[in-house]
Amino acid sequence: MSTYRDRQLDALGDPTRRAILARLRKGPAPVGRLARDFPVSRPAISQHLRVLKEANLVTDRADGTRRVYELNAKAFASLREYFDEFWGVALNAFKKRIENRNREER
Amino acid sequence: MTAMAEHSLQAVRKSVTVSASPDEAFEIFTEDFDSWWPHTHHIGKAPMTKAIIEGRRGGRCYTEHEDGSEADWGTILAWEPPRGVLIAWQIAANWQFEPDLKKSSEVEIRFTPVENGKTRVDLEHRGFERMTAGAAEMRTGVGGEGGWGGLLQLFAARVEQKATKGES
Repeated sequence: MSTYRDRQLDALGDPTRRAILARLRKGPAPVGRLARDFPVSRPAISQHLRVLKEANLVTDRADGTRRVYELNAKAFASLREYFDEFWGVALNAFKKRIENRNREER
Repeated sequence: MTAMAEHSLQAVRKSVTVSASPDEAFEIFTEDFDSWWPHTHHIGKAPMTKAIIEGRRGGRCYTEHEDGSEADWGTILAWEPPRGVLIAWQIAANWQFEPDLKKSSEVEIRFTPVENGKTRVDLEHRGFERMTAGAAEMRTGVGGEGGWGGLLQLFAARVEQKATKGES
């Protein structure tokens, strides 16, 4: 589990990869298109995409002879999961605070 | 974006029922914010000493730290004691304070009296789509285990720690 996490951190540590993710937010794109959009070589783009894919941040699929990359929708859904858990913890602490207060007053 | 991505931006809703009147619950939630807010939850650069919500429209939500610094994280958008409060959640994709309210998500907390003198507290965190500039980065950074980049990772781990300790 922690391996994924570490990989995602590494993947996000590079500004070009972050820019690629921002680009993919607008929609899926083939490697060639991304290579044209960014001032780095096509092999470099492929390398970045490989890192992003290994980190589970993007997925790829074949489209004829092209390979099309898109954001991993599951990674998107996780923002909600994160806040869902976050607020669960916070509200639970709030409830405990009130219960403790009530006990003290009794 | 796809329907799935849209779906992922739906508001987060949580409710809890507490044994207190709406007045009391509202006061403890806001004025006594520091008494219950986990001290691991902050975006300051030093350990937190106090968490503060200024009780008025336009009030600051911030934390004080051991090194004497303060870290803002929100602004009161609506202040309606004891019915509710609306807070701009001004934390950007890079886990830094976001001064622009238009790029901030928001958290609404409502206090509703229920039976036996209790109060239901409904919380809604919405507007994730407003975190524009770094939004893709932020959302994709939140991996299967809840990563948001380095700081958030540390933060989440501490929250988990705290939660585990709290249960034991």
